[in-house]
Amino acid sequence: MKATYIMQKEIRESILTPKGFLWYILTSVILSVMSYLFLTNNELSLLDQGQMLYMIMNFITALGVLMGLVFGADAFAGEIERGTLEALFLSPVNKVEIATGKIGAALTNWGIIFAISLPYLFVVGKGGQNLLIGIVYLAFLGTFLAITFSAFSMGLSARIKSMKNSLIISFFIFLLAGAPIFLSAAQRRTWFGRILDLINPFADVINTFDSVVIDSQGFGYQVARVAIICGYLVLSVWFLKRSVSRLEM
Amino acid sequence: MKRSILFLSMIFLATAANYASASAGRITVSINPPSVQANMGDKITYAGTVTNNSDRAIDNIIAYISLANITPGKEAPLDLEDWSANKAIKVDTIPPHGTYEGQWPMRLIDSGSYVAYITVVDKNDNMPVSSPMSRLEIKRLLRLNPNNVLPVAIGEPVALGMVFMLVAFRRRKRVK
Repeated sequence: MKATYIMQKEIRESILTPKGFLWYILTSVILSVMSYLFLTNNELSLLDQGQMLYMIMNFITALGVLMGLVFGADAFAGEIERGTLEALFLSPVNKVEIATGKIGAALTNWGIIFAISLPYLFVVGKGGQNLLIGIVYLAFLGTFLAITFSAFSMGLSARIKSMKNSLIISFFIFLLAGAPIFLSAAQRRTWFGRILDLINPFADVINTFDSVVIDSQGFGYQVARVAIICGYLVLSVWFLKRSVSRLEM
Repeated sequence: MKRSILFLSMIFLATAANYASASAGRITVSINPPSVQANMGDKITYAGTVTNNSDRAIDNIIAYISLANITPGKEAPLDLEDWSANKAIKVDTIPPHGTYEGQWPMRLIDSGSYVAYITVVDKNDNMPVSSPMSRLEIKRLLRLNPNNVLPVAIGEPVALGMVFMLVAFRRRKRVK
């Protein structure tokens, strides 16, 4: 319950501000441009509707992860740099509840991005294959990934206590996680590419989207990847809990 | 000497002509429709019929469709993968005097004049067999609002902007 207060405070301070709101307008503008280009170039492009839906789902996931990382990096290091962590520690809320509230705010941010993206997903995927099931997978796996990366970044922020450094390290991790996207299809089929694909939670999510939306494969094909994503989720939450419990002023 | 060369040449030509007509006669290929007029973005399907005119079954033949751009100044064969066309079809067997019907659906990506034809390759023959050419005219078409994207693409950022202004206005009012 106390975590809810922290979450509300975070939402008021980060999301319901004109500056925070600008992120969502920009998200919407980027999604508008992408959807319009995809659909108007449909006749000329090599992309079918499933491919377009898959690409837009990847983009939304990456955006959610990126914003989760920023939220996470700011969570404790930002409070320390602004000199507000002391006041937070003096309040009758323990460290784990503070972390839970902050994760809740990061999750709210992901929820808003997901809600903003829904009309675009429906427009781009209309008349195509696996639209609804794709959205269901995006909702679940996007949430798992948002928690994983936010919790990791928050844990890092609590340990490093420097927003700049935790943000830079988080971005490097994000780039590393996104590395399989830059590999060619042939490179990804090698043993190295396959292992990298399997152990990387971000690659697991986009490969699951590919399998569900483009290849129309059922949940049976996704079990291993979803299990790995859940494994990372548990690990990152454990890392956050451990980092926060050691946090001292 | 001249007579010998002439005689040998005649034998060679006769053999070659016989060989070519034999392979071409054993298999015939047709393509349907014989001509198509469509718009960019349309999906059409070419049907090809491979007929075995011989008394023996034909095994393991490959049938594939080709498209050539004949628009003046743009003459070139096309990579059909871009047009979402089916790849080559492997036909296991066609019984004597039997037929095989294959279908090649494709999405028309670019405007222009094209010819489409189906070719059959039999590993026991040296000559591929092709169908007559089907003319394909694709008209340029620009859709500015496909899937009704514009209301969402314009409306959502505007709606969010309005909510943003409302939040900012309320905050300012509260501060005052």
